[in-house]
Amino acid sequence: MFKQFVHSLQGDEIYMLLSLFIFLAFFIGATIAMIKMKKSHLEYMSDIPLNEENAKSN
Amino acid sequence: MLMQPDKFYYDNKIVRNFAIATIVWGIVGMTVGLLIATQLYSPSMNLGNQYTTYGRIRPLHTNAVIFAFVGNAIFMGVYYSLQRLLKARMFSDLLSRIHFWGWQLIIISAAITLPLGFSTSHEYAELEWPIDIAITIIWVVFGVNMFGTIIKRREKHLYVAIWFYIATFVTVAVLHIVNSFELPISIFKSYYVFAGVQDALVQWWYGHNAVAFFLTTPYLGMMYYFLPKMANRPIYSYRLSILHFWALIFIYIWAGPHHLLYTSLPGWAQSLGVAFSIMLIAPSWGGMINGLLTLRGAWDKVRDDVTLKFMVVALTAYGMATFEGPMLSLKSVNAIAHFTDWIIAHVHVGALGWNGFLTFGVLYWLIPRIYKTELYSKKLADFHFWIGTLGILFYAIPLYWAGFTQGLMWKEFTPEGLLKYANFLETVTRIIPMYIMRSIGGAFYLSGVIVMAYNLYKTMRAGKLVSNEAAEALPLLKETNEPSEFWHRRLERKPMTFLVLSLVVILIGGMVEMLPTFFISSNVPTIASVKPYTPLELQGRDLYIKEGCVGCHTQTIRPFRSETERYGEYSKAGEFVYDHPFLWGSKRTGPDLQREGGKYSNAWHYNHMMDPRTMSPGSIMPAFDWLIDQKLDTTNTTAKIKAMQTLGVPYPKGYAAIANRDLDKQAKAISANLAIDKIKVSSDREIIAIIAYLQRLGTDIKNKPAK
Repeated sequence: MFKQFVHSLQGDEIYMLLSLFIFLAFFIGATIAMIKMKKSHLEYMSDIPLNEENAKSN
Repeated sequence: MLMQPDKFYYDNKIVRNFAIATIVWGIVGMTVGLLIATQLYSPSMNLGNQYTTYGRIRPLHTNAVIFAFVGNAIFMGVYYSLQRLLKARMFSDLLSRIHFWGWQLIIISAAITLPLGFSTSHEYAELEWPIDIAITIIWVVFGVNMFGTIIKRREKHLYVAIWFYIATFVTVAVLHIVNSFELPISIFKSYYVFAGVQDALVQWWYGHNAVAFFLTTPYLGMMYYFLPKMANRPIYSYRLSILHFWALIFIYIWAGPHHLLYTSLPGWAQSLGVAFSIMLIAPSWGGMINGLLTLRGAWDKVRDDVTLKFMVVALTAYGMATFEGPMLSLKSVNAIAHFTDWIIAHVHVGALGWNGFLTFGVLYWLIPRIYKTELYSKKLADFHFWIGTLGILFYAIPLYWAGFTQGLMWKEFTPEGLLKYANFLETVTRIIPMYIMRSIGGAFYLSGVIVMAYNLYKTMRAGKLVSNEAAEALPLLKETNEPSEFWHRRLERKPMTFLVLSLVVILIGGMVEMLPTFFISSNVPTIASVKPYTPLELQGRDLYIKEGCVGCHTQTIRPFRSETERYGEYSKAGEFVYDHPFLWGSKRTGPDLQREGGKYSNAWHYNHMMDPRTMSPGSIMPAFDWLIDQKLDTTNTTAKIKAMQTLGVPYPKGYAAIANRDLDKQAKAISANLAIDKIKVSSDREIIAIIAYLQRLGTDIKNKPAK
């Protein structure tokens, strides 16, 4: 299907392949980013909404 | 050195104001929805006048529930959570007030202009250009207020909810501006700059992303704040929230063309739309799972806490709608579902379940807190939950049924190879019982909202609004970048970079899809025999837009035998090159009209408009008898032709000045033709123009130029 799809594009294959590349690069990059994140930071971030009551008593 | 905490106050009054507006407009919008639901089985419910006829008030319903009910709910949620997540009062009380009152004024102007018939015809963007400008200004006020607050924040990092708010702000701004490129011809009339296929692509890029960035991203932001608060535990996975955020905003923007499958939009754009719609399951379910798993170990609370009950149903409805959406974008499923009530059911699972229930959950949680009191009645809230849930089921199930039934009936052939239900009306009368059931479901849902309004009113009466809620937080230290710091962590501190990055991410999809259709001429092949509309037809077309005919009649025939048998030759991109705006529609409550020209006599159309049931017994179309009494306004013909010329429609030079002469000539001919059938009507009536337009529809490609 994809072949037929690219063939009907009349010279715009690069355009299409580039967007596919961007898409893949995005997900691979995001996955690496997720894995590299520090646990302490993640915990800090997810506690922000729950911390506001503490803020008052600081 | 010991730092002194800052003392400051959260603005609860603005939150309360948006909350009240949410409830009031919710009731108004849903009441109009119930009215139009009854009009679909009882034409007398059109109330016998033009201002309350289906075509004009269906946009009133959609605009009211989307921009008034959901819109105010978004601002309520954002103004409450943003202040607390950033540990700062809103940037400017004045801007907050301008935002609030400006938005309400826009809603009121919509409620006045839509019944009057001032409409651009683009779905969910029907408001005319002066209101479009007002929306832009108020949206900028909202943005300045939000970013001002972000800048003076006391919390270094931006929590995920705020990213969703930023993406909402940026994307809605882009969508609204691009889909409002209009050439005004008077204070309440304009023509879209794009035509035909291109206009369709822009509209559904907008339409789909209005769902994405008005009905979804701000609500996900609210979910990420309010759900952890209600359950008193942090979100299940912050990692997942990052991935799901970027993936969602990146992928959503590409999905628009799934609204245009099997139309004359270039095939590659349709395929892109389908591919990205399928991918959307991943980030959407990422959000739903993240929400539901936040409640792990807290399910006992769900039994007792009505706010959590609403949230669970909201998330479940979100999950169902976002699974169903990609399925509906598969071409084979879409072939049956599109243009039927299946889509209406799908949309309402999202609207009533996800948006409605999340809003109710937040209202029940928030109002007692800012009034420092308890909810007036838990029993009534429980009643609301059950009647609302039942309402959704009674609404959606009959409509799914109606959708399957009608979609299959349209496609059914006899063994001899003829359409089994050649008369479209047969497929309508079959689903009337489902329409009745649906309105009962809607009435259940609405009654729940009224009960909630009473419950919250009593809660407000019992407590006292804490307009300015005292808070303390340490001021923010000057930023230093640690060299080893992770990039996303740095990004979470930089709102402006975040804004630009979100903008880039959403622009990629829109540009890849739209630019080739605009600049590569082979994507819209022209047809030599397709000519511009005559002045009378153009006026008729504008009446067609004014009366909202596009709400029930499509003008695009898909290349299926079941459609070419029923309606005629399938639609070609080149047929729409002079259509500013396109009028393909999205729902076939009545038959497609693209090849309507020449199918019936002028007299048939005259009688049918006066009372559809005299020509088609059992029809549910409203009567448009005022078209016979009202005189056609021809003072603007010159301006209209000139505007069309500006937009590239090839009328001869100087034609604008003499256009009314041709208009009169054509009108007199139609009037004379009607006289043969003993219909006496003056040639200057609106009905003449609309007959001229209907008789022209789709006839051009039949007049092949001489070789």
